[in-house]
Amino acid sequence: MVASTVCDTPEEGEFQLQTVGNQGFLDRHNSQIFAEGRSFSGNERDKLFLNRGDGTFADLSDLSGCDSPGDGRGVICADLDDDGDLDLFVHEIQRERHHLYRNNLGGQFIKVRLAATNGQHEGIGATVIAHGPEGPVAQPLTRGAGFVSCQAPELVFGLGLAESAKVEVVWPGGARESFGSIPANSRVLLTEGTGKASNFAARPRPLPDPLPKGLRLRVGDTLPPLAMLDASGELTTLDSVELANGGELWINLWGKSCVPCIKEMPLLVEHDARDDLRVVLLCTDPPQHREQAVPIAVKRATGLADFYLGADSSSVLPPPEDYIDLLRLPIPTTLRISPEGKLLGVMRGTVPPR
Amino acid sequence: MRHPHRLLLLSASALLLFSCGGSDAPQPSTPEAQADQGFTPIASPSKPMTNLELVEDRTEEVADRLLTFSAELVKQDFVAALDWLADDFKGMGFAHLPVSAETTQLAGVVSQDFDVNGAPIVDKAGLLASWEETFGKWGEVSSVIWKVKGAEFQQGGRPMGRVKLYFHATGILPDGAMQSFSARGWARVKRVGDWVIDRLELTSYNIKTLTQAPFVEVTSAAGVGHTFARFGSDQNRSFHFNGAAAGDVDGDGDWDLFVPSDDRNYLYIALPDGTYGEEAVERGVDLPDDGTGAVFLDFDNDGDQDLFVAQVGWDIGDEQGGHHCALYTNDGSGNYTLASGLAGLNNPFVAYSPTVLDYDGDGWLDIFLSCYGMVEREHNDSWLQATNGYPNALLRNLGEGRGFEDMAEELGMAGSQWSYASAAADIDLDGDPDLYVANDYGDNQFWINAGDGSFEQQSDARGVTDRGNGMGASFGDLNQDGLLDLYVSNMSSTAGNRILDRLEDSIDPEILQVLRKLAAGNSIFFQQADGTLKRSPKKAGGVGANWAWSASLADLNLDGRLDVFCTNGFVTGNLAWDT
Repeated sequence: MVASTVCDTPEEGEFQLQTVGNQGFLDRHNSQIFAEGRSFSGNERDKLFLNRGDGTFADLSDLSGCDSPGDGRGVICADLDDDGDLDLFVHEIQRERHHLYRNNLGGQFIKVRLAATNGQHEGIGATVIAHGPEGPVAQPLTRGAGFVSCQAPELVFGLGLAESAKVEVVWPGGARESFGSIPANSRVLLTEGTGKASNFAARPRPLPDPLPKGLRLRVGDTLPPLAMLDASGELTTLDSVELANGGELWINLWGKSCVPCIKEMPLLVEHDARDDLRVVLLCTDPPQHREQAVPIAVKRATGLADFYLGADSSSVLPPPEDYIDLLRLPIPTTLRISPEGKLLGVMRGTVPPR
Repeated sequence: MRHPHRLLLLSASALLLFSCGGSDAPQPSTPEAQADQGFTPIASPSKPMTNLELVEDRTEEVADRLLTFSAELVKQDFVAALDWLADDFKGMGFAHLPVSAETTQLAGVVSQDFDVNGAPIVDKAGLLASWEETFGKWGEVSSVIWKVKGAEFQQGGRPMGRVKLYFHATGILPDGAMQSFSARGWARVKRVGDWVIDRLELTSYNIKTLTQAPFVEVTSAAGVGHTFARFGSDQNRSFHFNGAAAGDVDGDGDWDLFVPSDDRNYLYIALPDGTYGEEAVERGVDLPDDGTGAVFLDFDNDGDQDLFVAQVGWDIGDEQGGHHCALYTNDGSGNYTLASGLAGLNNPFVAYSPTVLDYDGDGWLDIFLSCYGMVEREHNDSWLQATNGYPNALLRNLGEGRGFEDMAEELGMAGSQWSYASAAADIDLDGDPDLYVANDYGDNQFWINAGDGSFEQQSDARGVTDRGNGMGASFGDLNQDGLLDLYVSNMSSTAGNRILDRLEDSIDPEILQVLRKLAAGNSIFFQQADGTLKRSPKKAGGVGANWAWSASLADLNLDGRLDVFCTNGFVTGNLAWDT
């Protein structure tokens, strides 16, 4: 399970999962049904269809890594890291609204930018045709297509295994101009009337690797002291360095409705008995559930220090939500912290036996 | 009734008797062996319920119940999932079935079909074992989807029925490989407090595996994450859906991202290390908020990228609301100034997707604004041909930074459709931009540029009227012939299709065809040599999204063919209730 199934965004309170009966006619712009948390064509994931080349398409969506279920609207498809393949930025209407997907496929390409000289200089409305390995492929240079989406003024043509492709442009005004054969992996500016492609410099800026799921820090980053509540609801501090006391610290992230979390608690106590290891519990339930969570921790994880969400925002220390993404965090998860307070690693699921 | 299409369908068929035929009844797979185990094929109800509306309400109860089932499977809490099975459950187990066909498909996907003939008949514990065997090895279950493709119920007595199911689950194996599981079949359901499944019969079963997903999400690591309230909550309930725009704001050669949003706008400046810095406030584009579509363009031809943001606003009698569209001019270094009082933008528009084009070839970029209906004030006046949408606008650029003049009325392009989006391209390669407009609740329009500053509406002549719920449009060459093709985003509806299945033999074929189109989903139109466009058959794929929005046509695997990425889904709440 993920922490969000026990903890919705704090201001919204408890996650609800229940079936509601027929509520009468639904208008799609009826805010009331959405205020109540109901879906209307919900849980529909974004789609990726690959072109088979014979007029048919394969649905790769669910294996694509970019099929978010969060009600997508706008999408940008651009080579954001200048490695030649096209990345995706999606704007959704739900809680996690912005999504950036790095394309890992790579391959051979030609990137084309345009400079018009007869019409407006950006060449918007021009059609570029690249004679690639599968036949001539035409793409228009657009600003504003799809739905509420504006693509970057650059066209990327895949070349498969081909070493080059002939490229021509039909410019606004109707002039059709060939720019000859352009080698694979070129970045070219095509200027109207020149008939020659000029290379522009690559600007590689590799997009980062993803953070560990559910976390907002990387392995190697320092986890600073966090503002927390203790079992009685008093403000306290989860100070990794102090708790580790020269050894390793495990921070176990759990929830009161997470059966595997509760099952593994005695095992955590066993680990805590080691001289070089300290284990503490960080409960991911919303603050109003702290009182229900505390007895579980006391009974199942006797002796372990336990911490809870809900520290007053007036605290000078950051809340754990700055480092833990409760919407995405799978629980149980246990963070391994070095004596210096750095994240050493992340254990998903139940911790190994001692 | 909850779905607009259902309203239409049900009113059109109020006097029709519902009959769900036996023509697609399940074929027994291993009759003798299964009969020996007390399992017989799931039959139609002996006396089917005939009130179509009650049948559909009951169907949706089952579908909603299955949504809660999905939640348990996503959590991999298989024991809890047993609550969705009757105590006397009998059904086909699916672990360890023989592979009947294995193929390696595009992008390296390994697809295995399994032979459901000879599937063992199992009880609850046996099905639990199948779940654990199949889904327990996944490190993470990404999604579980049930679709109720059809259903019929017994008239009178204890509520029970037979449903045609499609089941699809996706997960990630511990080594990072992606895997999907899909099965089709039939279930007998009965209501014992809640609906439960007491018989389950498979007709097909497939597993697909891909060693590595082509995309990985790097949102947080790249610094573009933005968490906001759930849609429907007080902070987030605007139907003025926000989009995104890419452009080179600061002229450094990298693509920056502008994202209009509900609370304020976001401007992500690309940094050399692969992350982004959010600088909307510093660069002067954070407000006004609630913008819909945005486009970068060099509005004043001074060599930098200005920014136009569409907004929903209205001014009717004494009532004014929303915002005016905003144009921000770039000072050449990526700092913006809102050009207030600009000619042509003093009036509000109910504007969603702006499209840039130089329609009159004067060297100054113009903007077409797709304008929708004022959903805060009134409903669409028709599901098929709504006529109370806000007029579209064609903002002719006056040049020299002076602003715009709306030419739509004069050119006959204003209309009263509920327009969501448009796309411009030179479809006939005659040197001027043509314009396709996607309209919700009606016919789409294809404005062919005459080359003299006027347009002719040719959607019928060119075969792209595409009546339905047009949500988006994109041009690109999807069959590698050097001609631009057209992709139109629409809606498809599982509920609509199953209702139409029930009406197949009982409704005027012409009406049925119209209704089928409404529920059919996206459209691909291939351009022919004569300039007309021809719809790609649905079975060719590429169109099966659900409630689809923006499509990008791009070569995502660099194999020399343009692919399709399409955003999808209307509103996902946190309750297990859906249409």
